[in-house]
Amino acid sequence: MAQEMAMLHDISRCSGCRACMVACKQWHDLPADMSTPFEGQYQSHADLTPTTYNLIKFNETTDEQGKFRWDIIKYQCMHCGDPACRNGCPENAISKLDSGAVVINEDQCVGCGYCAKNCPYGIPKIDGIAHKSRKCDLCFDRIQEGMVPACAKTCTADAISFGPKAEMEKLAKERLEVVKQSFPNAQLYGVGDNKVGGNHMMYVLTDKPEKFGLPADPATPKSIDMWKDVARPIGQVATFGAVAGIVGMAAIAQFRKSRMDKKHDEKKEG
Amino acid sequence: MAKLKYLPRHKKGFIICHWLNGISFLMLFLTALPLYIPSFGDFYRAVGPHNLQLLHRFFACVFIATPFVGLFIAREGYKRLFSEALHFTKDDIEFQKKFPAELVGGEPDLPPQGFYNGGEKMNILLQMGLWCVLVASGLVLWLGTSLPQSLQAWAIPIHAIAGGCGFAAALGHIYLALGVNPESFQGMKDGTVLTDYAVHHHGKWVDELVAEGKVSRKDIE
Repeated sequence: MAQEMAMLHDISRCSGCRACMVACKQWHDLPADMSTPFEGQYQSHADLTPTTYNLIKFNETTDEQGKFRWDIIKYQCMHCGDPACRNGCPENAISKLDSGAVVINEDQCVGCGYCAKNCPYGIPKIDGIAHKSRKCDLCFDRIQEGMVPACAKTCTADAISFGPKAEMEKLAKERLEVVKQSFPNAQLYGVGDNKVGGNHMMYVLTDKPEKFGLPADPATPKSIDMWKDVARPIGQVATFGAVAGIVGMAAIAQFRKSRMDKKHDEKKEG
Repeated sequence: MAKLKYLPRHKKGFIICHWLNGISFLMLFLTALPLYIPSFGDFYRAVGPHNLQLLHRFFACVFIATPFVGLFIAREGYKRLFSEALHFTKDDIEFQKKFPAELVGGEPDLPPQGFYNGGEKMNILLQMGLWCVLVASGLVLWLGTSLPQSLQAWAIPIHAIAGGCGFAAALGHIYLALGVNPESFQGMKDGTVLTDYAVHHHGKWVDELVAEGKVSRKDIE
């Protein structure tokens, strides 16, 4: 079994150079994406897109002293331990690998979009031309070959680290102590257990998660269990039950009719 | 034998709406089946998932539009449908209790029924409720991408459960129409029913027709 890995983005070190975005596009052979017009901000795309799996967000904010700053964050799939996208995929097209990477099998994917609706982070995007769901795959193919994901490899500021999960958790805690000295609200995100089964994409945040557009308390939706354990079985039982019931009723009705006819005939003959 | 062999029951506009509703529902069910029953996945891939998804949306438009089309071409029929279905009487409950025997070829002694019998009323109410649930949850899934994520996630099982129940009910409806009371099926073809059938299955309605002077007792006996 392959080792469980994790990625850590240390917000305090990120310079927002977007080299990771370029590296991601290059490794996945993704085309340029003109979906967001230039509106004067530093942020390149409004959101992740079917051809942008990794986005550096420039959240514009003003601190207590009225000083403007950017809360920069690298946004992509969080690679949950209990992935909502995988749990709710009707085609079983999404799997979680031993490394922790959550990967979409393109051949199985039918582009139904259930993963996009179930994901508490709003990560998967449906490619309107290929009709497939797309998102970061943690460069699982690179990991298999002993390499680190393209974004981590290229990070110029050493803000993205990648390695065995336990090591990354340890590093995160060490970094938090340092960062807290400059950012009192600093906290870890995705480290340890949470309602999505823990994440393989973890953060050292300089402020509350909401500041970075992250859900404060993400959870794998309960509706998926409802769908998988109740809706589908009940629907199937109802469908096949109705068919079986009708065939059964028709058979009984036919049997009764033939018996009645027989009696009728016997009477006539008698 | 009655002199008047057939009684007019449904108008043309109402029949059109019935088939629009029935066919669009069946097509909606078929085009969504692979998401519902995983073993139909190969069917999905053979036809092309995107084609089925587009068809699902097309038939969804038909399904949603049907009652509104009815406002123009079948106002009377829909009015009757609503007013009758919302008036559940003692006789209807009596009917519900005794009718199941007929499903397996029995001939129970049923209380006289109106234009719609107790079973039909139940089906109408069920279909109305399911229509609302299916349309609401379906629109959330289709157009609600900016709605709260948990609402979108809940729309998936709700839509699926309503669809499954609707299909089971539809099968029952089809069996009753074709297997148990084939005489009633005529009503959804040319709008008439056999007079004898009407007298036996919709006694109260026939009484109404007589009282309104639309037919005379003589003609039907």
